[in-house]
Amino acid sequence: MLAYTIKRFFMMIVTILIISTLTFILMHSIPGSPFNEERTTNETIQANLEKFYKLDEPLPVQYLYYLKSIVTFDFGPSIKKPNETVNELLARGFPISFELGMTTILVAVISGILLGTFAALRHNGFIDYFAMTFAVVGISVPNFVLATLLIQKLAVDYNIFPPATWSSPMHMVLPVLALATGPMAIIARLTRSSMLEVLTQDYIRMAKAKGLSPFRIVARHALRNALMPVVTIMGTMLAGILTGTFVIEKIFAIPGMGKYFVESINNRDYPVIMGTTVFYSTFLVFMLFVVDIVYGLLDPRIKLHKKAGDA
Amino acid sequence: MKKWLLLVLTALLVTVLAACTANNDAGEKPAGDSDKGDEKTEEKVLYLNNGNEPTTFDPSVGFDAVSWNALNNLMEGLTRLGEDHLPKEATAETIDVSEDGLTYTFNIREDAKWSNGDSVTANDFLYGWTRMLDPNTASPAAFLGYFIEGAEAFNTGEGTIEDVGMKVVDEKTFEVKLTAPTDAFLNIITNPSFFPVNEKVATENPEWFTEAESFVGNGPFQLAKWEHDVKMVFEKNAEYWDAETVKLDKVEWAMVNDSNTEYQMYQANELDVSDVPAELSEQLMDSDEVSVQDQAGTYFYRFNTTMEPFTNAKIRKAFALAVNQEQIVEFVTKNGEKPAHGFVSYGFQGPDGKDFRDAVGNLVEFNAEEAKKLLEEGMAEEGYETLPTVTLTYATSDTHQNIAVALQAQFKEALGIDVELANVESSVFSSEQKELKYQLSRSSFLHDYADPVNAIESFITGSSMNRTGWSNAEFDKLIADAKAETDPAVRWKHLMDAEKLLMEEAPIFPIHFYNQVALQKPGLSGIVRHPVGYLELKWADKSAE
Repeated sequence: MLAYTIKRFFMMIVTILIISTLTFILMHSIPGSPFNEERTTNETIQANLEKFYKLDEPLPVQYLYYLKSIVTFDFGPSIKKPNETVNELLARGFPISFELGMTTILVAVISGILLGTFAALRHNGFIDYFAMTFAVVGISVPNFVLATLLIQKLAVDYNIFPPATWSSPMHMVLPVLALATGPMAIIARLTRSSMLEVLTQDYIRMAKAKGLSPFRIVARHALRNALMPVVTIMGTMLAGILTGTFVIEKIFAIPGMGKYFVESINNRDYPVIMGTTVFYSTFLVFMLFVVDIVYGLLDPRIKLHKKAGDA
Repeated sequence: MKKWLLLVLTALLVTVLAACTANNDAGEKPAGDSDKGDEKTEEKVLYLNNGNEPTTFDPSVGFDAVSWNALNNLMEGLTRLGEDHLPKEATAETIDVSEDGLTYTFNIREDAKWSNGDSVTANDFLYGWTRMLDPNTASPAAFLGYFIEGAEAFNTGEGTIEDVGMKVVDEKTFEVKLTAPTDAFLNIITNPSFFPVNEKVATENPEWFTEAESFVGNGPFQLAKWEHDVKMVFEKNAEYWDAETVKLDKVEWAMVNDSNTEYQMYQANELDVSDVPAELSEQLMDSDEVSVQDQAGTYFYRFNTTMEPFTNAKIRKAFALAVNQEQIVEFVTKNGEKPAHGFVSYGFQGPDGKDFRDAVGNLVEFNAEEAKKLLEEGMAEEGYETLPTVTLTYATSDTHQNIAVALQAQFKEALGIDVELANVESSVFSSEQKELKYQLSRSSFLHDYADPVNAIESFITGSSMNRTGWSNAEFDKLIADAKAETDPAVRWKHLMDAEKLLMEEAPIFPIHFYNQVALQKPGLSGIVRHPVGYLELKWADKSAE
């Protein structure tokens, strides 16, 4: 287990390095510069600015500075907002995106598993059909469409929730719903199908024969095995939700990181592009790493160097 | 293991559920202020959307609408645009202009005060303007100060501050010398780039403008709260010399940059003012809540006169005459804009009191026959059997695309030419347009100050705004003469001739003039939107519904 963890950890570092290098290359290969505006500032001023941001150096030298900023995690000031550093922007935006993303995942996982389990237990019953219809709709409707619909219905027409912005728990409801519906539907479908499979296994029949309560059978014996596929897709789903927040943040005017991420590319604000990309990819790669480790903990077949029997 | 997981999950579920139900009335915060209503029924709060976080409130650096629309209400220059869009004395109580029109003496109001109680002095202006012109500040607005003697040299690093024509005569008297008489000068200095800066505050804390706590202004409102990227709250500034004119108690600015969401918040009464989302403009334009104001600026297209076939003036003119501006405005943009038949927009009065646009008249108008004839002549001149392929390029956006498609159809109909369309991401577009990489491309111009010369001089040889490769000695001379001219009538004549020449030579063709369309809740009044200038809330009022 330890060797596996260490190996995965090194792969993580390599992945981040590759991502950052690609970002650097892509960033400098698109035309345009941060100082490219409708109004052109005069050349002396422009030269001063380029010097200040080290944009006058040859690209390989800039790349070294860039690597240094990654290692020290200090990306310097933003070019568009000279009074703020990239780290300040990250510190302001990330907690909000994180809160939104994590709430979404929680809601999606809990409700998805519940929905899937009930659907499996009432196989071909009303709950099953309801849950699966809901799941198909949930998977098919993109979150930004759902978001606009939710605002129109629940905020504008019925005035139950505030339409946008981010200042109270009530403001979280609509964006979380919009973001969570898709993943929740996927989880529900997965849980249902693997649950159906597990429920026909011998050990479940055994448990029933032993006279265990239905709740205990489902919660303790069936669900545990049925959740393996769910954990497997958690990694990609996490990536999906975190990148999905970009659009949702814009629609709901949530002051998270998505805005900086997208705007920095439009503005060619190099330090912010670097900061947000490196930060985001590090975070994502790290989460995938965690999911892998958890997966190893849950599934005995993946345990490489650990005593058997501690399931 | 399982118990641990279950416990964590349960705990989190409880937290989420609790969070969802904790605050039931958080959602019901209509623009009216029912929660505060008990203590003070009279409090007037205006709810606006700034779209984005202001880039900066540093008067020397900002220079974009997202910063200036807000800052314009927090501070005040020597002059301020009135409800009639003309500059009026503001922080300056009286202004004396020397007979040759070169020296301006500003007598600052005795009761002009900063929001921290300090008196606004001539030195605050000297300090602010010097900072803006200082090459180290790298202010994008510095060129506006080039009318002041020695300012251009100082800003480009060739001169010193001692040679700039600004002088503190005494504590409340500020004197400025210009290089040439400039009618627009009092208008130019209404721009937030010419706001004073409280030297004492700025020396103690060079970043005084970044937080509400340290911000010190001298305008109708003061910055009470600034939650970055979330919202700003302005409160009426009791220290403002004209405080009794200001009717609003508070202005709350959201930062929502999705036009649909903005409109939905407006519908839910969380905003008092909203833009009209492009997709809804047709159905909303007739609404009683829509306000349409002119904006000085032009939506137009540039030819690349260094690329075939637009090296030929007749072919350029043929394309220009094939465009039907009325049709585009009526059926494509549907946003109430005025069609443009010249480059300078409406709203600039000459010395004879006549509007520049009306006086010059329509210079390019749809004329299919003439266009066809010019195209044939042009092709014969160049010896073309068939016209080289023409590609029209625009920055990716739905609005630009709709107009581009309409133009494609119009060229086909009037000239029988198939034009290809290409769209490019906007930063790439603006950089490649400057490098003259496109044959025919979309453009726009918005005025920096209220004078036709600001628009027309874009096309002098070598100007960074030219971007057509077009160069014409006669045109350059007309602009240079106009700038040096002391007789306003002669100057005006030069400008008119220059515009006529520009349209005759056709390195560009205009589509429409810009306007400012906004939805406003009934009961709002006095929000002023200038054709050139920034949002004005000094006279804004909100009556109880």
